[in-house]
Amino acid sequence: MSSFLTPMMGIDISVGDHVQRKIGPLTINMDIVWATCIAGAIVMTLGLILRAKATSGVPGKFQMAWELLVGAVQTQVDDSIGPRGAKIVPLAITLFVFIFTCNLFEVVGIGSKLDVLPAPTSDINLPLAMALYVIVMVHRAAIRNRGVGGYFKHYFSQPFPVKLAPVNLFMNGIEELVKPVTLTLRLFGNLFAGGLMLSLLAALVAWKFGSFGVIGGVLSALFTVVWKLFDMAIGAIQAFIFALLTILYFDTAMAPDEAH
Amino acid sequence: MPIATSNFLVPNGTFIVVLIAFIVVLGVITKYVLPVLNAALTERQEQIRGELEAADKAKADAEEADVERRAVLEQARTQAREIVSQAQTTADQIVTGATAEGQAIHDRIVASAEAEVIVARQAAVEEVTARVGEIVLAAAERVIGREIQASDHQDLISEAIAAVRAETSGAAAGAGGAR
Repeated sequence: MSSFLTPMMGIDISVGDHVQRKIGPLTINMDIVWATCIAGAIVMTLGLILRAKATSGVPGKFQMAWELLVGAVQTQVDDSIGPRGAKIVPLAITLFVFIFTCNLFEVVGIGSKLDVLPAPTSDINLPLAMALYVIVMVHRAAIRNRGVGGYFKHYFSQPFPVKLAPVNLFMNGIEELVKPVTLTLRLFGNLFAGGLMLSLLAALVAWKFGSFGVIGGVLSALFTVVWKLFDMAIGAIQAFIFALLTILYFDTAMAPDEAH
Repeated sequence: MPIATSNFLVPNGTFIVVLIAFIVVLGVITKYVLPVLNAALTERQEQIRGELEAADKAKADAEEADVERRAVLEQARTQAREIVSQAQTTADQIVTGATAEGQAIHDRIVASAEAEVIVARQAAVEEVTARVGEIVLAAAERVIGREIQASDHQDLISEAIAAVRAETSGAAAGAGGAR
């Protein structure tokens, strides 16, 4: 998919460009894989530094930041699920930190055809992978909570009386199918659009003022800086929403039947 | 490596690789990072709880000590009041005793002095009485120019002595009343 602006502005903006490699039947976007691995390495390094430095005495700023995050997630989980939700805390924390780190890669992008370090979350594969992982874990928790019979019965008995079982199945089926899709597309869409906006801003300036003019350069830099500040906020918000929705999905899955 | 354009909404094999990467990160954070952090947090909470308990205990001890101090102080005050009261009583007793003793001594001295005065006066009267006859006779001899025999005028002499006695006893009575 490329060049949708070409007829209008004579500018070539394309999406879905990746450094790809074929491994057997699979096509791998190598740039996304590298970016994901780098983000993962950053998160793990930060975690292992914390592990080495963690003290029960007066914590440093680094440890304080981690403790603040863990405390916030812990409170969120305790408030919605209660003590049973303790196992979700690591997942929610990892999701937040990892997605936030990935989203920050957007800052180093320049909106070129192929960024050196693209935000891995701006490719659909990583959001989908995380969303599916979360949804699988949610269903696993639901089965553990209600038992296999209770798990399936739940689809027929809620929210209307059992007499309307087909309606219940339809509504619950739609809800469960939509969950991973919305979880994926919300994160992917925001980050993908963030990268696209950089290209569009650059293209807009180039179209109006030319690619190499002083005014064009200054305006381009200004727009980019302003947009990236906004994009960083979006990155934090999206990471927070992903982690929060994960907690809420677990909350629904682990709640007693009559509670919702 | 070839740069290829694909449909950005369709996942591909990248999905599997990034899923594995995410699970690895999740595993490391879950296994190696959060337990250490949670242990540190729990330990700090325990420390703070311990310190709070110690502070509570110290406060309770201080309050207990304060109550004890007040009790001791009150006891000391009571004792002091008793001691002062006893001292006052003792002082009163001593003053009363000393006053009585002083009065007794005073009375004794006065009585003794009065007795001495009476004895001295008696002696003086006796002496005057003894000599008044002679003095009267000597005075009479000088007046009339001849010797007068005491036996001839015993009546006059006795009368004079009685007069002296009456006078001295009246004077003594007057002195005793004036004192």
